[in-house]
Amino acid sequence: MAERTVLEPKNTLLNVSRSKNLPHNPGIRVGDLVFLSGMVAVDPTNGKVRTGSVEEETRMVLSNMKHMLESAGTGMEHAVKLTVNLSDAAGYADMNRVYREFFGGASPPACSVNVVELSFGLKIEIECLAVMPEGEAK
Amino acid sequence: MIDRTIFPAPTRGLDLKQTLGLPQSMVVRSGDLLFLSGVLAVHPGTGERMHGTLTSETHQCLQNLSMILGRAGSSLEKVVRVHAMMYSRIEYDVFNSVYRQYFTPAQAPARTVWSVGILYGLKVQLDVIATV
Repeated sequence: MAERTVLEPKNTLLNVSRSKNLPHNPGIRVGDLVFLSGMVAVDPTNGKVRTGSVEEETRMVLSNMKHMLESAGTGMEHAVKLTVNLSDAAGYADMNRVYREFFGGASPPACSVNVVELSFGLKIEIECLAVMPEGEAK
Repeated sequence: MIDRTIFPAPTRGLDLKQTLGLPQSMVVRSGDLLFLSGVLAVHPGTGERMHGTLTSETHQCLQNLSMILGRAGSSLEKVVRVHAMMYSRIEYDVFNSVYRQYFTPAQAPARTVWSVGILYGLKVQLDVIATV
C-alpha cells in the first residue's frame, strides 16, 4: 500500500486552498508520484490572485510551481506531464515563450493545452504531475 | 513491468460496459493506483441518468464514486486527484458546498475544476485517481 501525503508549499501564502477555505489541497504525493492541483497566478508576496498578461500569469504560475515541487522534495526537472488551460487560444504563443524559459532543456515534460473557461478573468491555469527524484523513493 | 488489473463496477448501473455497451472499464488498477472512468450522476442500480440540479448531481456522483472505490478496496479518503468537471463555472461555490461534505479539507485530494460540456446533458463529471 502506497502512503498518501498532503503536500504544501513552504511559502504558506501560496496555500490558496487553505486561505480561501476550499475543499482541496495544493498537492498529494503517493509513492513516487506527485499530483499538484491546478495552479493559477497567485502573488507569492501576499497570496492574492493576480491577473495580468498571459506572459505575466504564466511566469507567476510556473515560478510558484517550481516552489511547490521543491517544497515537496522534487523539482521542475522531474515534471512528467503538464496540463495547461488557457482562457483563450490566442495566448498560446505567449504562454510557450515563457514556458520555454522553464522547460527549454533537452527533456521537457509531456504537455497538453486546452482552452477552457477560467475564474476571476484569469488567463491561464496549469496542473502538474511529477515524480520524486531517484533515491527519494519511499 | 507494472501490473494492470480491471476491477468490476460495484453495481450493474455503474457498469458502463454492461448497461451502455461502452468500450470502457470503470476501474483499472496499476500498482497502488486506481484510474477511474468519468463518474456521472446515474442510478447505481439501473444506470438511468439522474438529471437534476448541480447539487443533486454532485451528491449522486460522490455517492457513486464512494461505492466504486469501495468495491476496488479504496475509499474517498484515499482519492489522490480529481478533475471536477461542471457545466458552468458559475456554480463553483455550489459544487464546493456539496463536495466539502464528502472530503475533510485537511486531507482533501488535489483538484482542478474544469467547466466543460458534459455528455448526455449532465451537469457534473468526476475524473478520479485514487490509491488503495
